[in-house]
Formats: sequence, C-alpha cells, structure tokens
Amino acid sequence: MPDLGRSDMSAPAPRDPRSEQQRRANLRTALVFASIAAVFFVGVIVARYLGGVETGMTMIGLIGLVFIVVAIGRNLRDRR
Amino acid sequence: MSSVPHDHVAGHGHDDAHIHHPSGIMRWVMTTNHKDIGTLYLWFSFTMFMVGGVMALTIRSELFEPGLQIVEPEFFNSMTSLHGLIMIFGAIMPAAVGFANWMIPMLIGAPDMAFARMNNWSFWLLPPAAILLILSLFVPGGGPAAGWTMYPPLSVEMGMGMDLTIFAVHIMGASSIMGSINIITTILNLRAPGMTLMKMPLFCWAWLITAYLLIAVMPVLAGAVTMLLTDRHFGTSFFNAAGGGDPVLFQHVFWFFGHPEVYILILPAFGIISEVIPVFSRKPLFGYASMVYALAAIAILSFLVWAHHMFTTGLPTAGLLFYMYVTMLIAVPTGVKVFNWVATMWRGSITFEAPMLFALGFLFLFTLGGFTGLVLAIVPVDIQLQDTYYVVAHFHYVMVAGSLFAFFSGTYYWIPKWTGTMYDERIAKIHFWSSLIAFNVAFFPMHFLGLAGMPRRIPDYSQQFTDWNMVSTIGAFWFGLSQLIFLYAVLKCIAHKGAKAPAKPWEGANTLEWTLPSPAPYHTFEIPPVIK
Repeated sequence: MPDLGRSDMSAPAPRDPRSEQQRRANLRTALVFASIAAVFFVGVIVARYLGGVETGMTMIGLIGLVFIVVAIGRNLRDRR
Repeated sequence: MSSVPHDHVAGHGHDDAHIHHPSGIMRWVMTTNHKDIGTLYLWFSFTMFMVGGVMALTIRSELFEPGLQIVEPEFFNSMTSLHGLIMIFGAIMPAAVGFANWMIPMLIGAPDMAFARMNNWSFWLLPPAAILLILSLFVPGGGPAAGWTMYPPLSVEMGMGMDLTIFAVHIMGASSIMGSINIITTILNLRAPGMTLMKMPLFCWAWLITAYLLIAVMPVLAGAVTMLLTDRHFGTSFFNAAGGGDPVLFQHVFWFFGHPEVYILILPAFGIISEVIPVFSRKPLFGYASMVYALAAIAILSFLVWAHHMFTTGLPTAGLLFYMYVTMLIAVPTGVKVFNWVATMWRGSITFEAPMLFALGFLFLFTLGGFTGLVLAIVPVDIQLQDTYYVVAHFHYVMVAGSLFAFFSGTYYWIPKWTGTMYDERIAKIHFWSSLIAFNVAFFPMHFLGLAGMPRRIPDYSQQFTDWNMVSTIGAFWFGLSQLIFLYAVLKCIAHKGAKAPAKPWEGANTLEWTLPSPAPYHTFEIPPVIK
C-alpha cells in the first residue's frame, strides 16, 4: 500500500470540494443510489403483489439492464 | 507504545480559534460536522449497547437455572427479540457508521461528508427509532416477541408492540440508506487529488462495499416489513396462509436482507483490522489488492446464500446443495483475508498495544466463529443444529468477537486523534483480557449446549443443561461488567486525564489522519492534500 502520509499539503487544490460543479456531481451520485433503493423497495412489494418469482426476477433483471445501459451510455458520452 | 519524537503536523484549512460553531446542546442538535456526528453515533451506539446488554443479562439471569425464576415467558421472548434488534440496528450498525463519519473524510483527505445536513438527519432519526423500540415493551400486548427476524404468522398476530417495531425498523432503514448514500458519494467524489481507488485505505474500501450492500438490501427489509404491516392492518395476505399467502415467503425476503446484513456488520470491522494490524506489525498490509477483491467477493456471494438460514423449511434438494456449496465458497475470500492479516504480521516488528491485542482477539475468535459457520453450512448438520444454542454461539462469535472487538480495537487506535489524549494502556489491557476471557466463558459453553440439543429462545430447559448455562451466565455478567472498564478508559481520555497525544502516536501509521494534529481540528483538509 502506498505511503499516504507523504502528502504535499501546500499544493494548490485542483478543485473546490464545495463548488457548484462538485455539488451537482454529488447530487447526481446520490440520486442514482436513492433511485436504486427506491426501486428495490417498491420492486419487492410490487413483485409480491403481482405474484410469482418470475415477476420479481424479471423486474430485477430489467432494472439491472437499465442501469448497465445508462452506465455504459454515460461512460461513452464522457469519453467523447 | 511507540511514539514519534516530533509531531509532524500538516497544515489544515483554518485556525480553529477563529471558527465559530454553536456550543452546548445546540452544537450537537444542529451540527453538520462529520466529527461531531461521528461522536454522536458512537455514544448512541454505546448507550444502545448497554440497553441491549441489560436485556442480554435479563435473558441470562432467567437461564441461570432451569424453571421460571425472574420473568414471564412472554417477556422473555420480547427480551430475546429486542436484544437482537437493538444490538444489530442500535449498537453495531451505528458504531460502524460512527467510525465511518469520523474517519472516512480524514482518511481520504475530504473536508467533510458530501451531504452534511443529510448526515445530521441520518443520525437524529435514530433516537426516535430506539425510543419506539423500547416503548414497545410498555404498550398493550407487550413488546415484539417474534424474534429479531419477525417471522409471520406470529408477527402478523401480535399486539401493538409489533407496529412500533415495524415503524422503528422503517426509520432505522431510512437512516441507514441516507448514511450509505452519503458515504458512497463522499468516497467516490471527494477523495483528495491523487488518491485513486486502489490507493484508498482499506477501511474506506470496506465501507464503500458495505454501503453498496446497505443500499441493495435495506429497501428489501423495508418492503418486507411494509407487507407485514399491510397484512396486519390493511387486509392483504402476503404472508397470511389463511388468505392464500405464504409465511415462508417472508423468510426468503427477510434473509435476502438478513444475510448481507451479517456482512454489513462485519465488513467495516474487517476495514478497521486491516488498518490496525499493519501499523502494529510495522509492515505494509500484505496483498492490498487481493484484500479489496476479497471484500467485493464476500459482498457479491452474500447475496447468493440467504436460504442457508432456511434449510429446514422444505427446500428442494438442488436448492439445499446450491446454498450449501455457495455458503462454503464464502470461506475462500474470507480465508484470503485471514491469510493476508497473518502474512502481514509474519516477520513484522510486532508490539502488543491494546488496538493490536483486540485485533488479534478478533482474528482468533472471528476465525473460530467463521469455522462454526462452515459447520452450519453442511445441510445434514444444520438440520440437527437449527435453532439450537450452537447457532447462538456461532453468531455471537462473529458479531461480538468479530464486530465488537474490532470496534474496541478501532477506538483505542484512533482515540488519541479524537481526544488528543493517550488512553491508559494498563486499563485498556485489563479491558482486553477481561473481555476476552469473559466472552469465552459466556459463549463457548453454548456450543456444548447446542450440540446437546438445547433449543434457543426458551426461558426454561431440561436439567441436563444446567451446568453450562450457569457458566454461561457468569461469563455474560463478567463480560458486561468488563465494558465498564472500557467506558472508564474512554471517559479518562475525554477528560484529558492522560498523556498528551502526539500527531502520530503510532510509529507504523502512514494514513492521512496522522498528518493532522491531535486532537483533530474541527475542520480538516479544507485544502485537499495531494497524494503522491
């Protein structure tokens, strides 16, 4: 593991952790994870309400697929 | 104890004397500072540890002798249920979040958590939830008596205490999800320049993975107890067999949460141990990358093993075999971790201060608990041991000697940074040896009781189990009293009755928090450090 104690404290910060850009990035990250939590909460109830393991598995599979597509899409956009 | 001759104090954003922050009670109510909130979490956790501990001692007092002595069976059942709920949701999880709040920003060079106000809210949701749990004992029908797992049909039919419990679980779940989102965002977005993910201290890695687990499984628990609530009051029949529902379905949903929850409780402990062992061995951690991959592997596998808690519910043979083998598979990444900790110590210049002693206690006893877990993973054995005291012994070796010992280790390790005062090494060592011996006196005999067939969650038992139950009760009281030594050691540091802590009291420490003065200033790393 690298020696993390060897840090240069006087170097200028390349970014301000409280900048608007940083806040927006934080919010985006939080919303992604909050949406995952919401989907799991609603998903487990809806899947049981509609009945059957198949519905639950399909739902989780579709959600996984959507998140992967979104993640790949964002990655491709960032590379451009 | 080794200390460096000069405090190497790195600059920090502000001179604390010029910083205005509220004082008195309002400081703690309104605070958005990660260190304050970390302190609140840790004290809340310790308080709940004491409350849950008193419940444990009530249970052990009743079990000192066969027959009914002290409490009614219904109250006994409430005690076992609330003891579990309080220790898991009120003591261990908040303690881990307390460590995360205190240490993650300092370990990654961030000024605070990403969402400081949400951090405050996450904490202040916990006291009302705890009050609801305890209040459930005093409502008509008594407290929840269906076990911490809240299995139907009992939980569907119980009194109002179950409603309070369900509400408390919802609140604590919301708090955990918010805390997890905060931790993930902080780690992903606020690391100091140059600190790539693979340069992060392992404690942060352990918490990052734990937070992912929490976000995936806490909503599932919330969904399960919501369905329980609608079954109780809104005429649905998710788990009500009379209405076409399936009580076993609840077990599936619950353990989909419940098994990853075990790793939620232990992964932060792994993180602490991975920080402590290299420092006191004066060697870098052996196999950093493999430790990260092992953490991730444990987390992924934890989603695939839930039904090993349900071997006696009539699963098909293929299912039994699948869950048995996958459960055993978890021993591989766990073994990697244990091997790496031992390899880190190998030929190290080891010293045995209290943090290291607790880490070694953790290593020995957690491995023992893990091994009994492997025994329970074997289907034919589990069918014999299901719901016996062997299971109680197993999970207490994992939860108490695992999580709790790691938290003691972490507290002694970081308390010089938190309070600016060195803890009393002699008292801490007394605490360690007393806890270690008492823990084994309390819980080791439970293996024998379980193998002999004593069922769990019963206030009375056959006379043949008397001797080991007496030993266990004596050990439990001894262990409980030993924690007062810990309280004394911590209070001494808070009162600054001890040697002043240097910025880096541990010779082998090289993570970012040790570049700050002790005690850590109220605001730290407002100017991000650059990691080389």
